[in-house]
Amino acid sequence: MIVTKSWLNEFVDLEGISNEKLYETFNSIGLEVDHISSYVIPKKVVVGKIISCEKHPDADKLNVCQIDVGSGIRQIVCGAANVVDARYVAVATLGAVLPGDLEIKYAKLRGVASEGMVCSAVELGLPEVGKGILILDESIGTLEVGRELGSCEKVADTVIELELTANRGDCLSIYGVARDLSVALERKLKPLEHQSSLKEKLGIARMVEIQARGEIDADLSYMLASVDGVSLSCLVALRLAMIEIKTSEPLAGLLQYSMHAVGVTMRAYDAENLKDDGKIHLHIESRQKGIVAVIAKGETVSIVGISQDVASRAKEERSIVLFETSYIHPDLLVEAVAQSTLERDEIYYRTSRGSEPQLYIGAQYLSSLLKSNADCTFYDGSMDISSHFEPVTIGLSSEEVSSIIGQGIEKSKIVTILASLGFEIHSSKNENFGVVVPRFRHDVKNIQDVTEEIVRIIGINNIAAQPMSLVESNQKTEAAVRYAYKKELRQCASAAALDENISYIFSDRSRLEANGFACVKEELDLVNPITEELNTLRSTMMINLLEAVKRNVSYTKKSIGLFEIGAVFDAKRRQKEMFAVIFCGQKESENVANSGKPAMIDFASFVGKIGSIIGTFELAPCSYKNRLIHPYQSADILINGQKCGYLSKLHPVVQNEYGIYETFFSEIDWDALLPEHINAKAVSNFQGVYRDLSIVINKQISYGQVNKVITALESEILKEWYPVDVYEDKSLGGQKSLTVRFMIQSMHKTLEESEIESVMMLILNSLEHNCQAKLR
Amino acid sequence: MILKSYRYTNEVILEHLSEQIIQSDTLEALEKLRIDIFGKKGVLATEFAKLKDIPAMEKKAFAEGLNRHKETLQNSFDAKFDMLQNEAIEQRLKSDFIDVSLYSSLAKKGALHPVMETMDKIIEYFVAMNFSIESGPMVEDDFHNFEALNLPKHHPARDMQDTFYFRDGHLLRTHTSPVQIRRMLETKPPIRMIAPGSVFRRDYDLTHTPMFHQVEGLVVEEKGKVSFANLKSILNDFLKSMFGDVEIRFRPSFFPFTEPSAEVDISCIFCKGKGCRVCSHTGWLEVLGCGIVDPNVFKAVGYKEVSGYAFGLGVERFAMLMHQIPDLRSLFEGDIRLLEQFR
Repeated sequence: MIVTKSWLNEFVDLEGISNEKLYETFNSIGLEVDHISSYVIPKKVVVGKIISCEKHPDADKLNVCQIDVGSGIRQIVCGAANVVDARYVAVATLGAVLPGDLEIKYAKLRGVASEGMVCSAVELGLPEVGKGILILDESIGTLEVGRELGSCEKVADTVIELELTANRGDCLSIYGVARDLSVALERKLKPLEHQSSLKEKLGIARMVEIQARGEIDADLSYMLASVDGVSLSCLVALRLAMIEIKTSEPLAGLLQYSMHAVGVTMRAYDAENLKDDGKIHLHIESRQKGIVAVIAKGETVSIVGISQDVASRAKEERSIVLFETSYIHPDLLVEAVAQSTLERDEIYYRTSRGSEPQLYIGAQYLSSLLKSNADCTFYDGSMDISSHFEPVTIGLSSEEVSSIIGQGIEKSKIVTILASLGFEIHSSKNENFGVVVPRFRHDVKNIQDVTEEIVRIIGINNIAAQPMSLVESNQKTEAAVRYAYKKELRQCASAAALDENISYIFSDRSRLEANGFACVKEELDLVNPITEELNTLRSTMMINLLEAVKRNVSYTKKSIGLFEIGAVFDAKRRQKEMFAVIFCGQKESENVANSGKPAMIDFASFVGKIGSIIGTFELAPCSYKNRLIHPYQSADILINGQKCGYLSKLHPVVQNEYGIYETFFSEIDWDALLPEHINAKAVSNFQGVYRDLSIVINKQISYGQVNKVITALESEILKEWYPVDVYEDKSLGGQKSLTVRFMIQSMHKTLEESEIESVMMLILNSLEHNCQAKLR
Repeated sequence: MILKSYRYTNEVILEHLSEQIIQSDTLEALEKLRIDIFGKKGVLATEFAKLKDIPAMEKKAFAEGLNRHKETLQNSFDAKFDMLQNEAIEQRLKSDFIDVSLYSSLAKKGALHPVMETMDKIIEYFVAMNFSIESGPMVEDDFHNFEALNLPKHHPARDMQDTFYFRDGHLLRTHTSPVQIRRMLETKPPIRMIAPGSVFRRDYDLTHTPMFHQVEGLVVEEKGKVSFANLKSILNDFLKSMFGDVEIRFRPSFFPFTEPSAEVDISCIFCKGKGCRVCSHTGWLEVLGCGIVDPNVFKAVGYKEVSGYAFGLGVERFAMLMHQIPDLRSLFEGDIRLLEQFR
């Protein structure tokens, strides 16, 4: 909502109120100032009166004007075509400096002397007003020749853009804003200026007849006028430009101007077109709750607050116009519109948020405006229809208001504030009393709404902060525990030289499908995705992470390690949190230790990284299937024997598609990473020994199988074992050599050599039997 | 070296050996001397062997003299040995020299994402204030996301939040407020909670991303216990803990789920309130929204005779202000050029 200071001043006296004060006041009463700026007209730009205007002897498009600028008559050459219609203009006299550092100097234009410049609005730093020069008239104030234009407040105005909240439809007009401002500034609203119009002798009833069908939810008021030659005054044109309304039709411009000024919904109909047998027969029909149709000659010409048939609009050349002002409660309107398929026009924004219900203000403002901007004669009287209106009454007590605010507020203060805001107070000597909400504040419905009004006017900054007393309690919720562990995991990941990534939970359905990932079922998917690339919920984080890696490669990064904890969704759209890691390129930074040629990330280093983040796990042959997985360097991750994710080298074909370096990635179910409670076991105080066992086995037998056989022995003194060497060569044929290191220790004593030998024999026998292993 | 006379110890040789100790310059040479002097067949052993041939009355003097010599030799040997050994260690250390400055960039740690790191700070504040952490699903229904929050269908305020819908009528939560509703439906007051999480709005331009993060706060106690003044108190403290010594301004505003509502501004941290590009020359930065819980919200969850406040903030906004990050969208692109600055 854009307001201007001089326009506000029509409704409330702003004498002596600085822009800073206005800015502060608006913000403190909840009308947030988005932008505030003043137009500054350069010095030495004055009101000039054109004495004569003649064609330039040597240039078709130029005129030579004699202009009275107060200090004398100046000859000025002007190129604008509309100068011939002008009497008063803005003249930049010699020495004036216009925006863009354009200094006005004595000049000769095609041989004719010119002492100044006749200015357009844009040349003065104002918004564009029509084509050509700015033609001045009395609407901007008294036109005293030679007066500095900058002293004219209506031209050098201050424009304030307010960001209105959705509940404040009452402030969608200059009048509405002034009404709120008047309370905050403690200045009374000015009585509306109303030029008594020359009434035509004919009463409106001779020309218009209205019939209502059904209970009408809207208030309507009609006026009839003969309108001739509408032309916008300088002020109206300038202000329409300042509030960024563009219209080529003067009558439509006047309607918009009036609506912006007072907030009443207005429409203009071409009366000739509505006539039926020399008279207008309007039928007002309630179609359903909230939908009120205006019908003439059997056709719907408009629906109150929603739309108007374009053909019924008043046309500029026609002289008889039927003006309609209306109000409908926004709650009714919005509900009805949502259930219908009706088209809405630009007025709906206003009506859906609550337009001004006092129709007479609109009628008065509009007729007065027409008087000064057109040859206009109104028929006598108006034709009105009123809806049934039940005012809202709210019961209050100062105690309750005070307890919401947290500060004692006296009843008298509450009464004063509410009365000034237009509330009607039911007088009572009790602490409890009732207030009637003014009709223009349809958003005020309960005691907290009323309290907000009081808070606005007192100013929140005048409410003292007060710490709350509380009873402390155990607030360690499940979410808190999960958060704490998530943070720990993130810190471990950052210690493993991975950067944390956040990506959208959206993905590209076709890309997910092409790479063999599950997708949310069509019938559960998004209706209104923002782009094709983000048209579904992701079922994996890997696609997003690959994109991030690709971007970083294009930023010439050679070593890219990212991790992310985020949500993914399965086919049934169930949400699950995953921990994902991707590592691409050099496994460490280029430095003197590796002579600037670090090795690429490999399986062992990547597994090491994952381990340093998530702790102990086992790897088993990969059971996951998607196009990113390398079939021979991939594995399931098992924690406590449970499969919870996988890690893999990126399939070289996909790596090529993305144009990135060798890459490893992993995606793990985050829930599986939550740590379990640990109880310590006793440790042995006796000497332990390490023994290696080297066997020769079939190449196809994995260490995992060997491990299983050893585990099955359930030997108490086998504390731990791990593979330390694998060796294959031609001489071994289809066999490979495997060395496993064992740590052997007893809880009860120092082991004898014979006992150690016997457990090693046991292992070898078992491996010979189960894996056809041979001692090397 | 055999001494001809037993009457006198071989002063000349002993002095010469002493000289040799002093002049030896390697541990190897010194070791050789040690064997010559102190070894089983060394000079001292030979000298002491004479003792048995020396007449009894001279024995004592001879032995004393020899012992004096032995002690002198031993001392000078020990001193020399220590010196040479220290020199050798020093030499070895010197040969280990490296230019440490070559290695300063070797250490590498990853970065926590500035948005997450900011969220951590926010969460830590409220946890320290005895708030609980709550979470809820991202896919929500109309009731939890709108209806119960006093945002009935067709309410114009719904326009403020352009929503992603699913074919079955569900939606992606547009704010973290549905977590409030879920918490209130499952438990009785008192409640002191925050709900951090991602939220989604159908908006994509320089200053909007379809996903961003919020932290929502809710306090509910029995009627009359929670006031606007309490809300001011905690938010004043919170904002100072986040942004340091800033001025704080409350402006009345409107949210469907709170009444009275306010937006909270801090004095611009870049220009100290003088006015700059970041604060659009107003001197103020808007950082959060808050208010007293609307009675309709309590009605929707079946609470009676309670009072409460709620607040909500955008984590990206906090992170961008706190770390002077210019581009919102870069936060979601895994851009290492940005992230590595936070390592």
